[in-house]
Amino acid sequence: MTLQVPYEYPLTPGPVGEYVAVVDYDAPNRCYYEPVDLNDRWLLANDGLSPAESDPRFHQQMVYAVVSETISRFKFALGRDLAWHRSRTDSTFGNRLLLIPHGIQEANAFYDPTMHAIVFGYFTASETDPGSNIPGQTVFTCLAHDIIAHETTHALVDGIRRFFMEPTNPDVPAFHEAFADIVALFQHFSVQEALVEALRGTRGTLYREPSPDVKPEGAPQIGAEQKRNNPLVILANQFGDGIGLHSGLRQCIGTTPDPKALEHMIEPHERGQILVAAVFDAFFTIFLRRTADLWRIAGISRDDARDVDLQGDLLYRLAAEASKTARQVETLCIRALDYCPPVDITFGDYLRALITADHDLVRDDDLGYRAAFIDAFRMRGIHPDSVTSYSEESLLWTPPGKRTRLPGLRMPSAGITYEERRSVLGKNAKMLFSFAQANAASLGIVKKENIFVDSFHAINRVGPDGNIVFEMVAEVIEKGQHEDTGDDPRTYGGVTMVFDSQGNLRYAVRKSLKNDRSTNQAAFRRELWERTAVGPYSPYQNTTLDFRAIHRGF
Amino acid sequence: MATKKKGTTRPPTSGSTSTSVPSIRIRMYRIGFGDCFLVTLDGQHHILVDCGVHNKGGIVVNGKSLIDLAFQNIVTTAGGKLDVVIATHAHQDHVSGYGKFADQFAKFNHIGEVWMPWTDDLSNATARSWHQKKKALVGLVQTYLTARADKEAQAAIENAGPNPAAMQALRQGFGKAKVRYLKAGDQLDAPAGVTGFSAKIMGPPEDQDFISKMNPPGSDHYLRMAAAQQTGKGTHPFVGWELSPQQMDPKWPQLKQNVVKMMNESLKFSARAVAFSLDKLLNNTSIVALLSWRGKHLLFPGDAEYGDWAYWYKKSGSQVLSDICFYKVAHHGSWNATPKGALAEMPLGAFGAMMSTQSSPWPSIPRPALEKAIDERTGGALLRSDSIPVAGAPAGPKLNQLPPAFVKGNLSKNEFWVDYNIP
Repeated sequence: MTLQVPYEYPLTPGPVGEYVAVVDYDAPNRCYYEPVDLNDRWLLANDGLSPAESDPRFHQQMVYAVVSETISRFKFALGRDLAWHRSRTDSTFGNRLLLIPHGIQEANAFYDPTMHAIVFGYFTASETDPGSNIPGQTVFTCLAHDIIAHETTHALVDGIRRFFMEPTNPDVPAFHEAFADIVALFQHFSVQEALVEALRGTRGTLYREPSPDVKPEGAPQIGAEQKRNNPLVILANQFGDGIGLHSGLRQCIGTTPDPKALEHMIEPHERGQILVAAVFDAFFTIFLRRTADLWRIAGISRDDARDVDLQGDLLYRLAAEASKTARQVETLCIRALDYCPPVDITFGDYLRALITADHDLVRDDDLGYRAAFIDAFRMRGIHPDSVTSYSEESLLWTPPGKRTRLPGLRMPSAGITYEERRSVLGKNAKMLFSFAQANAASLGIVKKENIFVDSFHAINRVGPDGNIVFEMVAEVIEKGQHEDTGDDPRTYGGVTMVFDSQGNLRYAVRKSLKNDRSTNQAAFRRELWERTAVGPYSPYQNTTLDFRAIHRGF
Repeated sequence: MATKKKGTTRPPTSGSTSTSVPSIRIRMYRIGFGDCFLVTLDGQHHILVDCGVHNKGGIVVNGKSLIDLAFQNIVTTAGGKLDVVIATHAHQDHVSGYGKFADQFAKFNHIGEVWMPWTDDLSNATARSWHQKKKALVGLVQTYLTARADKEAQAAIENAGPNPAAMQALRQGFGKAKVRYLKAGDQLDAPAGVTGFSAKIMGPPEDQDFISKMNPPGSDHYLRMAAAQQTGKGTHPFVGWELSPQQMDPKWPQLKQNVVKMMNESLKFSARAVAFSLDKLLNNTSIVALLSWRGKHLLFPGDAEYGDWAYWYKKSGSQVLSDICFYKVAHHGSWNATPKGALAEMPLGAFGAMMSTQSSPWPSIPRPALEKAIDERTGGALLRSDSIPVAGAPAGPKLNQLPPAFVKGNLSKNEFWVDYNIP
């Protein structure tokens, strides 16, 4: 398999590129490994180093390639440039994210915002209890596509919504985990060669006629009776990291939706699997709609499709449709991030963000993408707050009651210098701040003096019909009253504002600190603390998400 | 029935001579930080639920340990006859007395049965391998912790030590009792031949999901790390490729010193984290038992924390909890050990609760908010063991007046206990 990555210049040994710096420091052995030079002429001519486990430079290349691929997916989907969460380490690499391929000896890999790094571990599989590995074999997490994409996504989400690191409700940590897994999964699915290989000669219920409608009262039917012996479901699990870091996140895929499952799940992986399954359900339904005609052309009816040996042109066409669908679903999932509230996200908010983001770009939903998402989320018991029905109209985010406009926001144009860009963004921030203060009530802001503008982005997206959408997105955060008072849990409110190119406020995604939000956030954070092993024995402390611990299970 | 007399009428040391024998009497001993409860049915059948104290939470009065006094009282009260002896889980603060008084327990005229969780059954391969791992981890944590002053973690890991004398005596049934290893789903009718007495066991579960959670996170990694350090054989994945910072080409990227420092720091064995996760795992192996006597139900959940409760109370919680007459507060009143949802199922104002606790060695136990919630749920019928005043020992809330149905021992006669009577 070959990954195509955008050509970067200058790209220096490491590789050190525009967004990332691969630094191969092995902390347990207190040593470095020689960096790969991808601009080496010999390497360029050979499409990079060939797979070799014994050459650390191949590992560096692998990490660099998968991370770059993930970043370019995000740039494409969001229609804008990306910024990492600001580094506090003041490294020699500017604000580049550090990638440390052999940092620790542990069956773990994690994004650490303090180090501004993704640290990959390696370990020797146990001689007595090796799991799925060969006993005594050295296993490298930096060679697992799934793990690299997963950790990169954590870092990217942190750059887009840094307050999602604050565990203010049970969905926040679960969202971080589930979203990272969704991106990793669909990125893998979008590689057509991999799908062809896996689909060839498989038998299973890949195809059943999509049910025409999903009745609210009836038995849950999703994705045309998707089953666990469905090759795409099996694939989702095979594409897993093989090390078990995020096992669990895909456990619900292919299971019958249980609308009550969410009620008693707290642990991030447990809860996250519901969101992963819902998105997979939607993917599968869309895939079936897109391929119904292929089965008809092939002359295979729904009754005997169960055990078809896939081969020839049909196999390639199905794989092509599956990978195209995967890419579209991934794009849609990423695009929705800009429509998420700035803090305290719930799975229900994410559904609303998905629907609004897609509605903005693709008015005509003839293949029923949005309907597929709505049904899938409803079946898994994901219910957005204060929404009366699951219709598309009621799920769309709304503007504040009266027409509100903020003229004069400027999009920094492409060719300008860093200083010019800073000046444009600085002026925007001031305008947004005054705007938020002036419209505090309708934006759900409780205390004007506690707000700050956290981000501003200009967005250019191209729809499927070639239509171009310009928008501007800004985040305003309100610090809760609990802030900075010793042992008290931190709480946050805020609003995401989406403006059109004329400065009209199209959507205000509010998380107001009214309505007990502060109290609920504080109660949840305390509960989370008490559930930790050390909780019973020491007083409350504010914590942010710790991916190293979450992935390890602490 | 309810009495407000202050220790002037002592309940008889042998129930059979009493004029109004309660149907059920639960005696909580103040022994320090630990659990020791004696349940007496109709004044004649005796069930001992735990007998242990933390070595950093013991109390000595006039040269005598409170646990010694408690044991003497058990001997006289039970008249040398215990129908059932329960060790809810293998923490020191629940079993140390079984070791300390093993010889004397062996001299009892009769001990009917000894109950332990299935995780202490050494004929069970899963339990055995888990014990081996636990032992190795406790050792590892102890070596690392001694170097650093972390009192809370130190106390947690000491509590998880092997308690060999106690566990051996229990496993041998003190030389006379039938030993049962219990798991969720067990239903015991007339155990030890006591007609009218039954026990429904809700924890610990024996399913794969639970077993997979018995492995402390990261433990395999830590054990391997320790082994590698001992043999001096680390893992070197790229022999021949290793370069010191000085050997690196100046054009090649290197980490800044502060990042190197953070990386090195992150490698350290987190003894504190492992100590507390072991503690939690052991708590979650607690026997959770609903003891029933003539239609009255008592809930003894040991030190079960949320992970153990979660297995049963959401499924069958309402049937079990809505009907109880008595609740032994789990894990000395830590927040995590009495789920809010479970408390809400308990019958408002219609049960009594006892909490054996004190603020030493962990000042964060018990949690005041939970204590308040339980007290409200019971309608003011919650009693803390540290409300029994002992000179020089950590003092709980003062009791000016005992809640109805509670009777306390005569302090001047060294009786550091309180009874809860159910007619």
